[in-house]
Amino acid sequence: MRLEIKGLTKRFGAFTANDSIDLTIEPGEIHCLLGENGAGKSTLMNMLYGLLEPTEGQILVDGEPVTFTSPSDAIDSGIGMVHQHFMLVPVFTVAENVMLGRERTRGLGVLNRKQAADTVRELSTRYGLSVDPHALVEDLPVGVQQRVEILKALSHDAKVLILDEPTAVLTPQEIDELMEIMRELKRRGTSIIFITHKLREVKAVGDSITVIRRGKVVGTVSPQASEAELAEMMVGRAVRLVVDKEPAQVGADVLSVKNLTVVDPRGHQAVKDVSFEARGGEVLGIAGVQGNGQTELIKALMGLIRPDAGVVALDGEDISRHGAREALDAGIGYVPEDRSHDGFVGAFSVRENLVLDLYRSDDFSRGLGLKLDAMADNARSRIEEFDIRTEGPETPVRALSGGNQQKVVVAREFSRPLKVLIAAQPTRGVDVGSIEFIHKRIIHERDQGTAVIIVSTELDEIYALSDRIAVMYDGRIVGVVSPDIAREDIGLMMAGASDEAEVNP
Amino acid sequence: MTETIAHPPESAGPGNKPVPPAESSRGPVTWLPTLVETLAAIVIALVLGALLVALSDPDTVETLPYLFSYPADFFSAAFDAVWSSYSALVQGSVGSWNRISTTLERSAPLICAGLGVSLAFRAGLFNIGAQGQMAVGFLVAGFIGFTYDLPPGLHTLVALAGGILGGALWGGIAGFLKARTGAHEVITTIMLNYLAVSILLYALGKEAFQREGSDNRQSPPVADSATFGSVADTHLGVLLAFAAAVGVWWLLERSTIGFEMRAVGANPEASRTAGMNVAKVFTLAMVVAGALAGLAGTMQVLGDQASISPTLAGTIGFDAITVALLGRATPLGTVLAGLLFGALSVGGVAMQASAGTPKELAAVLQALIVLFVAAPALVRGLTRQRATGGGSTVMAKGWGG
Amino acid sequence: MKKTARIAAVAAIAALSLSACGERPSDEPADTGSASESPSESESSPAAEEIDFKACMVSDSGGFDDKSFNQTSHDGLEAAAQNLGVQTGEVESQSDSEYGDNISALVDEGCNSVTTVGFLLGDATLEAAKANPDVDFSIVDFAYDKAPKNLKGLVFNTGEPSFQAGYLAAAASETGTVGTFGGLNIPTVTAFMEGFRLGVEHYNEQEGGDVKVLGWDGKDGSFTDDFEDKTKGQQVAEQMIGQGADIIFPVAGPAGLGGLQAAKDNNVKGIWVDTDGCVSTEYCDVLLTSVMKGMDVAVEEAITSSVNEEFNSELFVGTLENGGVGLAEVSDDVDPAVVEKLDELEQQIIAGELKVG
Repeated sequence: MRLEIKGLTKRFGAFTANDSIDLTIEPGEIHCLLGENGAGKSTLMNMLYGLLEPTEGQILVDGEPVTFTSPSDAIDSGIGMVHQHFMLVPVFTVAENVMLGRERTRGLGVLNRKQAADTVRELSTRYGLSVDPHALVEDLPVGVQQRVEILKALSHDAKVLILDEPTAVLTPQEIDELMEIMRELKRRGTSIIFITHKLREVKAVGDSITVIRRGKVVGTVSPQASEAELAEMMVGRAVRLVVDKEPAQVGADVLSVKNLTVVDPRGHQAVKDVSFEARGGEVLGIAGVQGNGQTELIKALMGLIRPDAGVVALDGEDISRHGAREALDAGIGYVPEDRSHDGFVGAFSVRENLVLDLYRSDDFSRGLGLKLDAMADNARSRIEEFDIRTEGPETPVRALSGGNQQKVVVAREFSRPLKVLIAAQPTRGVDVGSIEFIHKRIIHERDQGTAVIIVSTELDEIYALSDRIAVMYDGRIVGVVSPDIAREDIGLMMAGASDEAEVNP
Repeated sequence: MTETIAHPPESAGPGNKPVPPAESSRGPVTWLPTLVETLAAIVIALVLGALLVALSDPDTVETLPYLFSYPADFFSAAFDAVWSSYSALVQGSVGSWNRISTTLERSAPLICAGLGVSLAFRAGLFNIGAQGQMAVGFLVAGFIGFTYDLPPGLHTLVALAGGILGGALWGGIAGFLKARTGAHEVITTIMLNYLAVSILLYALGKEAFQREGSDNRQSPPVADSATFGSVADTHLGVLLAFAAAVGVWWLLERSTIGFEMRAVGANPEASRTAGMNVAKVFTLAMVVAGALAGLAGTMQVLGDQASISPTLAGTIGFDAITVALLGRATPLGTVLAGLLFGALSVGGVAMQASAGTPKELAAVLQALIVLFVAAPALVRGLTRQRATGGGSTVMAKGWGG
Repeated sequence: MKKTARIAAVAAIAALSLSACGERPSDEPADTGSASESPSESESSPAAEEIDFKACMVSDSGGFDDKSFNQTSHDGLEAAAQNLGVQTGEVESQSDSEYGDNISALVDEGCNSVTTVGFLLGDATLEAAKANPDVDFSIVDFAYDKAPKNLKGLVFNTGEPSFQAGYLAAAASETGTVGTFGGLNIPTVTAFMEGFRLGVEHYNEQEGGDVKVLGWDGKDGSFTDDFEDKTKGQQVAEQMIGQGADIIFPVAGPAGLGGLQAAKDNNVKGIWVDTDGCVSTEYCDVLLTSVMKGMDVAVEEAITSSVNEEFNSELFVGTLENGGVGLAEVSDDVDPAVVEKLDELEQQIIAGELKVG
C-alpha cells in the first residue's frame, strides 16, 4: 500500500501545528520521521490515524483520496498505530487484548477466546514476534507489551504501521529486538512510519528519513546522512553531539556508600551489599540494564526507601535513616528516573513545579504564606536561564513537551547549592537540543565541585558524561571502570558476564 | 497521548525565545467553559423539571386525552403549572429580603460542609464523612450551648470552638487511619458516619442531653447567650461561611500547606519525592475538612437557638458532596453551588406550599443539574457546544488512593 | 440530539394514542386558573363544596409517605378536604433545622390552620403560634404545659388499647412468650410497649398464667433505632421468635413490617400499630388485631373546630372513651370468650379501674 500525504495542514486557532506537509510512504519501506519533541510529529500522525481532522490537505491511499473521521476509518484503510503509551488492559491476557474491540463470539455471545489465541499464535510465528497468547499483559515486560500492541495492529491487517516513539521505553536489548521485528515486518511487505528523535536508531533501521521542524518538512534524506547533519536539520543549528568537558578536578569523597542492602516490598533483595564513593567535582556514571537495582539504590540514597543494611554517609554523617526532606535539605539534588511519576506535578504550573521542593525556604514563603511574587520571579528567571519553552509561568507542566518538562525538573534541582547531584535517566525521552543543554548543565555542576551521580541505561550518555563508570548487574556493582573502556566490555559487564574488575583511573 | 490536541506544542511556536508570560491562562478563559457548561446544565435541568411539573399536574394531565383536538388547553394548563411552580421557586427563595435571608441561612451549612469535601478532594481524598463530622460538631456545640452558663459572646465562641474541634477530630480519625494504615477514606468515613449517628442516638438517650421531664430524643434548646447574633434577620453564621470560603481559598492557593495538599492530591509520588510528608498532609487535610463540616453542624444549633435531635443534619452532609462536585472543588464554585442548593431547598418549600409541587421536584432538579454537570459531553451534545477539551472533572482522583 | 428526537417521537405517539379516544368534557370549561390551588384533591368526586379556608400541614423529616404517623396525620388533612371542602397546603421537611422556615412558608401562603406532626416540631410550632395569633395551630404527638390559645396538642393514650392487645396476646399465646420491640426509646413508642406489658401482666394475675414479655421490661428493651429499615425489624423479631415468642408486637413504623414478615415466615402471629394493619399492610392473615391511634381523626377534628371557629387550646387526648384510640377488629381465630373479655377490659379502663401505663 502506498500512502501519500499532500499539503496537510493543521491549525489550532492562530497556531499552525502542521504547515502543508508532503510525505510519501512507499510499500514495504521503513520511513523515519525525525523531529524534536513538539515539532508536530504527533499532530501529523494523529491526523493520519483519524484522531484529528486536517484543516487543509489530502491523504491518499494507493492514489485514492480518503477522509478519516475516527481511528476505525484509518484501521479500515489499513493503517495501524502503536502509541507511545500503550493502550492495553493490564488484567486481560494477550489474546484478549488483541481481540479487544472486535470480539468474535460463538453463538449466544460467548467470546471465542480460542480463535483469538490462534490468531495471536499465527501472527506471532509469521512475523517472528514471540508472545504467549495466554499471559496476562500486566506480567509482561515493557518490550513484550509493545509487541502485543504491534500484534493488535497486525491483526487488523495493517499495511502501514505507525510506531510513535517506540524506543523511548525500551532497554538497549529490547531496542535491538524491536529493530529486528521492524526489519521482518518490512520483509513481509508492511510499511512502517517510525517516529523518533534518536539519530542512531534512524540510521540503523531507516530506508528514508523525513525531518520535521516547527510543523514543516525540512527535507527527506537517506540514512547515509551523518548524525551531525540530521541533528542540524532537526534543531535548525549546528548541535554538538559530544559534551565539551575539561578533565575532572576531583575533590574529596562527598558521599560514601558502604555495604548498602535494599529489600523491595516483595521481599526481594534489589540492592546487594553495594559500596562506592562519589567525589566532589567528578561524575560517577552508574551503567546497567534497567531493573538491576539502580532505581532502588538511588531511592535509598534519597531516603525514599529505607535501606535494610549499610551506611550512606554525606560528608561523614550517616544519612541512611533520613527521609527525603532531610536528604534534600542536606544538599542532595535529585532528578528522578520517571519524571512524570516522581519529578513534577502535571497539574501544577511551571511556576509551582519550579519550587516543588523549595516552597518552604525563606525565599518562597513567610510563615504559612507563599511569596507568590518571588515564585513568579524565580519562574521567569529559570525559564530564561534553562530555555524552558512554555507559554508562560502559569502553564501546567503536563502541557509541555517531554524535554521541557525535564528542563523544569533540572532547573529546579540546579537552582540551589548542591553537594551531591543524583540524576537518573536525565535525558530519557528528551529531544536532541535539550539533551545537549542538560548535559552541559550537568558538567557545569560538576565543575562547581558537586559530586554527580548519573544513572543511565543509555551507554552513549554514560560515556559522554562520566569520569568513572560503575556497572550494576543483579543488585551488585560488578565493576568500576574508566570511560576509556571499550563499549563491548561494558556491554558484557552489564549482561553479568564479566569477572569483577576494579579499575581506578 | 493526544495532549497536543488541547495544547499546541510550544517549541514549534514563533522564535526560540520563550513566549512572553501570558497571564490569561489563570484568568477567566480557563474556567469560562466550565461556567458555560454548568449554566447549560442548570437550564437543561430546569427544562426537564418543567416537563415533570407539567406531567404531574392533574389539570394538565386531564387535557392530554384531547391534546390534538384542543392543544391550546394542554399548553395553557402546562404553562400555568410550570409558571406557578417556578415563580414560587424564585419568589420563595429570593423574592424578598426575608426569603433571601432564609436562603442564605440554609446555604451556610451546605457551603461549609461543601468546602470540607472540596478541600479533601484537592488533597486527593474523597470525604464521604461530612454527615458524621457535622453530627459530632453539633453534638459538642449544642452540649456546650445548653449545659453551661457563660456570658454572651464568650458562650458562642466556646460552643463554636467545641463544634469545630469535634468535627476536626472526627475527620482527623479518617485522615490518621489513611496515613497510618492506608485504610481507604471512603470506607472509614462511611463507617464513622454510622458511628456518629449511634453516638448521637446514645447521647440523646441520656439525661444530660434530654429536656427536663421528657424522655424524647430531643435536647433542650441552646441558651440565648450561645446563639449567633443576627444582622438584618440573618444569623452571623452566614458570614462565617463566607469567611470560611475565603480562608479555604487562601489556604489552598496562597499557603505552603495548601501547596502541599494540592501537590499530594495531584501527584502523591512526586510530592513524596519532593520531600513532603504525604501521611501528614492526608491527616491535616481531613482535620481541616472535618473542622469545616463541624462548623456546618455548629450552625445548625447555634444559628437559631435549635435543639439537638437525631435528624438535625438532614442530608446536608451528603448534599455537601454534590455541592463540592458542582463547585468543581474550588472555594468560589462551592459557595455558588451551595447558594444554588440553598435556594432550591428554600424555593422547593415554597413550591410545595403555594403550588403544591411535590418536594421531590426540588430534589430532582438538584439531581438533574449534577447529572448534567457530571456528563459535560451530554450537555455539549444537547446544546451543540463545540468540544473544548481539557475535561475538568474532579472525581477521578478520589478513588485512586 | 438523536436521543431527544427519539424521546419526542415516543411522547408524540403516546399523546396520539391518548387523543384517539379522548374527548374534551364540553360542559367543563378548562379552568386553569385554579390549577395550582388544590392539586391533590381534584380527583375525589363527592367532595363537599369548597369553602374559603386553607388547612395546612408540615411533616417532620420522615415525610408524608412514611407509612406511619406523618402519613396517618396527612390522611386526616385529606379527610378534612373531602368532608369540609377546605383547601390544603403542605410541606414535607427534610431536616430538623427547617421546621421554623417551613411553618412560616405556609403561614405566608395564607393558611388558616397549620398542623405539625411530631414532637421535634414542638419548639417551632410554639414559636409560630406566638408570632401568628390569627392562625390556629395543632401538633400531633406533643403536649405543652401551657399553650397559647391558638395552639392545641394532640396526644394519644395508646397505652389503653395496647393494654387490651397485651391481654389478647397473652391469652392467644401457646408458648407462653410474647415479644415487642420499638423504633426508638421515646415516650410515643414506649407507651405502646408499656401498655402491652401491663396487659400481659394483668392476664397473668387474672388467669394465673405465666406469660413472659420479651423486648420491654418497663424501662428498656429492644429497639431498631430506625423507623425505616425493615431488615432490622425482621432481625429483632426473628430473635424473639427464636426465644419462643409466638406473638410479635412491633412499634417501629415501617421497620415493624419486617417484624410481621418474620411472623409470617415462622408461622406465628402479630399485632400491628397506628392503623388497621388489615387495611394498611399485606399481612392481614398473621394479625390478631391492630392498636389504632386515631391521628387522622384528631387532625380532622382540630381542623373542623377551626373552620367552625370553635378552636381551643385544650389538649386533645385520644382515649378508648372518645374513640381517639382503639383496637381494630379482632381476628376470627381468637376465642370469642377472649374477645368478650377485651370488651370488659375496655369498660374497666374507661372507668379508670385499671392502670395502663
